[in-house]
Amino acid sequence: MTELALKTAAPPASSYMLDFWRKLNKNRMGLVGLGMLVVITLVAIFAPAISPYDPSSTSGVGASDIYQPPSAEHLFGTDDAGTDVFTNFIYGSRVSLTVGFFAAFISIAVGGALGIIAGFFGGRWENFIMRLTDVMLVIPDLPLIVVIVALTKPGLLNIIFVIGLIGWTTTARVVRSQTLAVKSRKFVLRARAIGAGRGHIIWRHILPLVMPILVVQAVLVVSLAVLNESTLAFLGLSDPTKVSWGQMLNYAFGRGAMSTGAWWALVAPGFGIVWVVLGLTLLGQGLEQVLNPRLDTHHLMPGRPNVKKEAEVRSDNAKLVLEVRNLSVDYISEGKPPAHAIENVGFTLKQGELLGLVGESGCGKTTLMLGLLRLLPQAGQVVNGSVFFGGKDLTMLSEEEMNTIRWSGISIIFQGAMNALNPVRTVSDQIGEAITKHMPSFPKEKLQGRITELLDLVGIASDHKDSFPHQYSGGMRQRAMIAMALACNPQVVIADEPTTALDVMVQAQILELLSELRRKLGLAVIFVTHDLGVVAEMCDRVLVMYGGVTAEYANVDTVYNDARHPYTQELLKAFPDLTKPKKKLSSIPGYPPRLDALPPGCRFAPRCPAAFERCQIEQPAIHAVAGDSNHVASCHLVEATK
Amino acid sequence: MSVEKILEVRGLKKYFEVGRPSLFSRKTESVHAVDGVDMTLHRSEVIALVGESGCGKSTLALLLMGLEDPTDGTVVFEGRDITHLNDSQRKPLRRKIQMVFQDPYESLNPTQTIEEIVTEPLKVHGLGNAPDRAERVRKAMEDAGLKPAEVYLKRYPHELSGGQRQRVVIASALVLEPEVIVADEPVSMLDVSIRAEVINLLAELRATRRIAVIFITHDLGSVGFFADRVAVMYLGRIVEIGTMLEVLEQPQHPYTKALLSVIPVPNPRLRRERIILQGETPNPINIPPGCRFHPRCPIATEECKLTDPALLQLSDTHQASCLLIK
Repeated sequence: MTELALKTAAPPASSYMLDFWRKLNKNRMGLVGLGMLVVITLVAIFAPAISPYDPSSTSGVGASDIYQPPSAEHLFGTDDAGTDVFTNFIYGSRVSLTVGFFAAFISIAVGGALGIIAGFFGGRWENFIMRLTDVMLVIPDLPLIVVIVALTKPGLLNIIFVIGLIGWTTTARVVRSQTLAVKSRKFVLRARAIGAGRGHIIWRHILPLVMPILVVQAVLVVSLAVLNESTLAFLGLSDPTKVSWGQMLNYAFGRGAMSTGAWWALVAPGFGIVWVVLGLTLLGQGLEQVLNPRLDTHHLMPGRPNVKKEAEVRSDNAKLVLEVRNLSVDYISEGKPPAHAIENVGFTLKQGELLGLVGESGCGKTTLMLGLLRLLPQAGQVVNGSVFFGGKDLTMLSEEEMNTIRWSGISIIFQGAMNALNPVRTVSDQIGEAITKHMPSFPKEKLQGRITELLDLVGIASDHKDSFPHQYSGGMRQRAMIAMALACNPQVVIADEPTTALDVMVQAQILELLSELRRKLGLAVIFVTHDLGVVAEMCDRVLVMYGGVTAEYANVDTVYNDARHPYTQELLKAFPDLTKPKKKLSSIPGYPPRLDALPPGCRFAPRCPAAFERCQIEQPAIHAVAGDSNHVASCHLVEATK
Repeated sequence: MSVEKILEVRGLKKYFEVGRPSLFSRKTESVHAVDGVDMTLHRSEVIALVGESGCGKSTLALLLMGLEDPTDGTVVFEGRDITHLNDSQRKPLRRKIQMVFQDPYESLNPTQTIEEIVTEPLKVHGLGNAPDRAERVRKAMEDAGLKPAEVYLKRYPHELSGGQRQRVVIASALVLEPEVIVADEPVSMLDVSIRAEVINLLAELRATRRIAVIFITHDLGSVGFFADRVAVMYLGRIVEIGTMLEVLEQPQHPYTKALLSVIPVPNPRLRRERIILQGETPNPINIPPGCRFHPRCPIATEECKLTDPALLQLSDTHQASCLLIK
């Protein structure tokens, strides 16, 4: 059984850090930044080999060498002392980078340690550290650094320590909040349950998860340190024996480069500073994008244009509100053959009908729903089939026309949507927005009345109307989501796992509400779920999906009492039945197929207890079950019984 | 079932203080998360602890694990009072009581390999040398159904399915050879087709390793063949406890009856009248006077508003707390 599981779900092993690196590798901004930093670091390391002159030797310089413009001899010209600006520029990078990296190291070490201590231990430690941070943040950094450096000797080491010990505050804050977030995660509780001590938990569980944030923070702190060092040197607070970019600027300004028009003496060090800071900023941005997936924009964008061309004629049944015929969806990724996420799935929906759409996670239920609403992610594409609604084929409509159908014709309650309510706006406000957004012509004066009516419909008393989402319980939030879905009087409502994560009693309340709304409003409902019990209680018809294809489609009674597809039969065996408490449950070995590794024959064959040779090579067509015009199943065994 | 007691709790209470006294109000309120629970777990026994969210079942689990300090009451393990042990006293005990968490996606550290995760408990307790540890890890993983273990060792949690992750969590509990496993909603995040797999695994471990299991769930439907006894919790208290068949087939408390009636039965021919309780579990700050269930109870009388019912002995094994039980 487990051997089989391995076959179906075994992506190549890869480490967490490797994964991180791979993502960064694809991030152009981050790579450019990294490249800029590598170049300047190499320049600093190999300064003696690259620079055309020796920086310390000014002997042999005559008055005519002062402020020479750029030439073949002096690439960036010469400065007020007649030394080569290019040489100074190269050696200057050494000081900037040394101070930048070492000061940042101190800041990160101190800030990281204090942040973790404050976040992990809390209480007095946290109070003390965070108040200290607040005080430090109130004092402006630069004047403080200037004063301290001025009072002590402005040597390189001194500058490193002063900049380092003053720049830890933001790191401490960021690390503390990340530590708090990681600490509340279940694996930390699990480590405690094992008996792990605090040191172990910090070292093995907190630090690895704080690390990525620390890396981003380090990049920012380095650039801050580089800027601080340059400012100090520009103000004259630097080691006079070591040339740095800030010092070059200081000399150029102080010794008449501006008045003599020697722009090169200013541009070269300025360019150095900009180069390093820009490189660091780009790298920081890149890292941030890699680490913070919320900045990704892959969610529910209108998909690619559909590729199928010829229009089809809908069947001549006036009672049907929705008819989906042979719908196929591919996921396209570069350099790979298209993955057939949905293949030839069809169903019909009458007015007031409740259709249950069941199957395990990853069987394409949600993709099918997004496909018919044309809300697929960017890579998804409807490649075949049609969706008839209100006399139109939705797959042929323009994006504008489709917008008028979504919500006012077909609306959807997303899985977990109740947690997506905006926490700072009242519930009625958000329902009102749903109405005006989809029906711009809706009269303003009637809006409040409509909101009350909708809330009443879903069983929320009007005195809760102006409450905020956090004042609602989970069940009430889900009711509010249903009210929102009903806002524009749709004919079809798609409910995608609307009761997952709700308690049994609240689940029962929501199901009751949906059945009632269907009776009252004549709504057709598509109920997406993996809970077979709920389907049996509520639905009229059931579509069982497996691996992106129809496994079985029939009336609810047929599915539970005369299922023909082995997948349906196995699903039923895995579901606990309260009326048979002594019955042992059986699970379906293995997992649904991955889209990029679909089996050649029947998609269920690798897990099917009844599979035979033909199933491994030939994908079964959708066969009608003899004697029942409403019952189809895609299985070779069904064909054989005809 | 053996009669040897392994874990016993008496009058266990946990109140959380909420709201600090401020300039404007000196009043502190407390959440009565667990409010007087008595329960005995025998060796190799499975007790299902059922209730809605907010009934205190997860807090009870944390109290049993010593991850929270009780306000009152005692926890006795193998005859020894373990209520108020400090970390170092409790450490050897942790080997014997292990926990499986609800969310296998959250309860594994994403930066550790499966090998590191399952070996970690042995390292924490300083058990065995390297080859010995490797052998124990392999055995625990294979007992948890991750066969052959070698295939999984170098993988990361995100490369496994939900069911496999939950097996990893179970393996990392098994590696210490515990006598009790507290499983907090171990299947509620999993697909139906995989739930049976995890429940069957726990049932098997009970049979082969004689591990006692406290199985916490909000779904009475899933406790079926696996639990020996079922305890139903409401607002911090056990309102009904009995053998699995007693509770599922002759429920006495109106809350148990309602819970049972809303569990969907996978057969459209058996659609039945459901007792849908309105509202949700009340806020455990303001526990209703009298019977704590009376505001939602479909059959409550005036008497129920005044008298807090005690658990009534209905048979040797069956108890329920309702004034209306005749």
